[in-house]
Amino acid sequence: MSAKVKVVKRKGDTLPEKLYLVEVLKGMKTSFGHFWRNLRDNSRLYVRHYPEQQPEITPRWRGRHRLTTHEDGSIKCVACFMCQTNCPSRCIMIEAGERLDDRDEKLPVRFDIDLLECIYCGYCVEACPKDAIRMDTGIFSLVEHNREKMLVGLDELAATPGAFTEDDYQKRGL
Amino acid sequence: MSNVDILLVILRVSFGAFVPLCFIAVLVWMERRGAGFFQDRSGPNRANIFGFRAAGLVQNLADAAKLIFKEDVVPGHIKHKFYFIFAPAIVFFTAVASFAVVPFADTLVIGDKSYVMQAIPTDVGILWFLALAGFAVYGIILAGWASTNKYGMLGGLRAAAQVISYEIPMGLALVSLLAVYGTVNLSEMAQFQGQLLFGFIPMWGVILQPLGLIIFVVAAFAEANRTPFDLAEGESELVAGFHVEYSAMKFAVFFMGEYVAMFTSSAIIVTLFFGGYQIPWLNTETLVVYAKPVAVVLMLLLPVLMYYFAGWIRKSNVSHYDRPNDPRRREAAVYIKILWGVVAIMELILLAILLSPSGGVATRIFVAELQIATFLLKTTLMCFVYVWVRWTLPRFRYDQLQKLGWQTLLPLSLLNIFITGAVVVAVS
Amino acid sequence: MIAELLFSVFAVLAIIGGLGLVLARHPMNGAICLVMTMISLAGLYSLLSAKLIFVLQLIVYAGAIMSLILFIIMFLNIRKEDLPKEEWRWAYYLGGIVVIAPVGLLMTKAVKALPGSEASIMGNGFGGVKEVGVVLFREWLLPFEIVSILLLVSLVGAVVLAGKRRVEQ
Repeated sequence: MSAKVKVVKRKGDTLPEKLYLVEVLKGMKTSFGHFWRNLRDNSRLYVRHYPEQQPEITPRWRGRHRLTTHEDGSIKCVACFMCQTNCPSRCIMIEAGERLDDRDEKLPVRFDIDLLECIYCGYCVEACPKDAIRMDTGIFSLVEHNREKMLVGLDELAATPGAFTEDDYQKRGL
Repeated sequence: MSNVDILLVILRVSFGAFVPLCFIAVLVWMERRGAGFFQDRSGPNRANIFGFRAAGLVQNLADAAKLIFKEDVVPGHIKHKFYFIFAPAIVFFTAVASFAVVPFADTLVIGDKSYVMQAIPTDVGILWFLALAGFAVYGIILAGWASTNKYGMLGGLRAAAQVISYEIPMGLALVSLLAVYGTVNLSEMAQFQGQLLFGFIPMWGVILQPLGLIIFVVAAFAEANRTPFDLAEGESELVAGFHVEYSAMKFAVFFMGEYVAMFTSSAIIVTLFFGGYQIPWLNTETLVVYAKPVAVVLMLLLPVLMYYFAGWIRKSNVSHYDRPNDPRRREAAVYIKILWGVVAIMELILLAILLSPSGGVATRIFVAELQIATFLLKTTLMCFVYVWVRWTLPRFRYDQLQKLGWQTLLPLSLLNIFITGAVVVAVS
Repeated sequence: MIAELLFSVFAVLAIIGGLGLVLARHPMNGAICLVMTMISLAGLYSLLSAKLIFVLQLIVYAGAIMSLILFIIMFLNIRKEDLPKEEWRWAYYLGGIVVIAPVGLLMTKAVKALPGSEASIMGNGFGGVKEVGVVLFREWLLPFEIVSILLLVSLVGAVVLAGKRRVEQ
């Protein structure tokens, strides 16, 4: 068995490289170039002035969840518990109730997501047979002063609109 | 002792004590904004007082307030509390005290008396710096040992071994320098560097001792525990090294001590190799004779420089996003007004120099001020080199560090001593 | 006046440091006490306007040698269990005092009887770097060189000993 051996020449063997000082000066020249460019004109810094300039969120981004609704405003969720069962971090807590409109049999009376537990994996979205839960709100920064506020309920989840058009969302290609 | 004597003593001691402390703020600011610009980001620029951010300097105030009001924890497992609390004080004190022998202006002659412009007018000079550099190790060793923490211990060991081994090339580099200057007194060294080589090159240490400069600067970086030799606090392996267990002000004292050490070693490097307070081609006597032309040139130069500086402020102190009624533009306008005011005051002072009799006390003081400004400018530039190197070079590995110290710098500095000795004997 | 005050302070500190070195149980405390003695001795030298010796004391003894000793203590990681049990230590102290006291009294008497015991500061330039250098290299060159050879021998010896052990392993 003759393995193919490719001999790679070791770099850094020349005298100026071994002296190290020359290479140090080269590196310092490069970094000073950056410094000088930014000192003269700080408008070209590769930074986003964050709270004022928000990043562009793509439809594939998994942000905070929302519950979708039909055109008449009734909730799409049928409380099948698929998302709750599938959730790896067990952050979804559903309580089912009887549905009185003719769309289906059940609807959630309580749909809580503990956002501190959630790992934003998106399995709930994949599991949902009714396309009732989506993570397309584009909300990526969630800050509250206490833990209780991080538990979002049915009303808040249903009230949040999606950040993208239906067309863009469908084309996100998952 | 006359009043002038007492005043000058107070001035010199307060210069020696407060300038390093003020430079902590400047250096921390320079480090952070510099790091930002080296890495194409902007650095701290949000903390403000009534919208005034002072280019990020206000961030230092915010950090200081945070560190002062943080809980000062002494962990329960620490048995030797005295050493634990004493260690940061040693590091800080030795750093401040070693600045005391650095001359920041030429000997000031008022009437028939002359005043050595050092905080402690002693002639042990550079030896004092070496002695206190040795003491700084105690702070690190005691901090690492008293922390009773693996990381702290390892960090302390590394730092101590590093400082001890780099003291040798540093001392040997100094030996050849002393042979050239013929003195250990830093004031006399700076005066020596006011001469001209072949009549047109300033006789700075960097020209007489280029190899000595390289060895000394590398050793000084290692002594100050700065990158690329900062593996005493290599965060990837040792968390924070010898100061893992320190919090709040005790940590802040270490932190400030590090920056004071950086400032002091910059000042020493400047004094030893870059002419100290000497303005190239204009030594003290020349300056005293030509004080008025120099003042005129400065009077003309200041507004021109200020004009361009104001333009730069106006260009850079803006919000880089759509913002109605940009407050940063208003901020810039205020800064520019204040700076023009400062320039106006300086012009008035220069005018007073022009009107005063030449060669008198006023001229001498003017020359001393010019030299202080030169010294501080040079030291700031050297500190910038520290920052520059920190954000360019990666950290050494520990064996590489010791190899560099013992197998490269030590023989090189010995070689330097022999060459220098031969040349000095041949020339004299 | 100030000089005398400083002398007493440094002398007392030096003696306290020396006592601490002997009496302290933990080696780290002992080493720090020794550092204190070294620094106080440096202060005494500076009072005698022996500037070079003052700085050398700080660099070599208080700085380099003591930091190596601290370094080694740090390496050893001595815990309380490792220290020897000194049940008879008070007896040793008493015995030591009884033995030393007459010698000390004799020494004090001898020192007091010395002529010119009132110390005065020497003339200009005494003890400076240049003066010591001139004396050392003009009048005491041969002893100086012999001492350096002695140091070199011990240095080489140390290296040889350290190298030998590694080969045997």
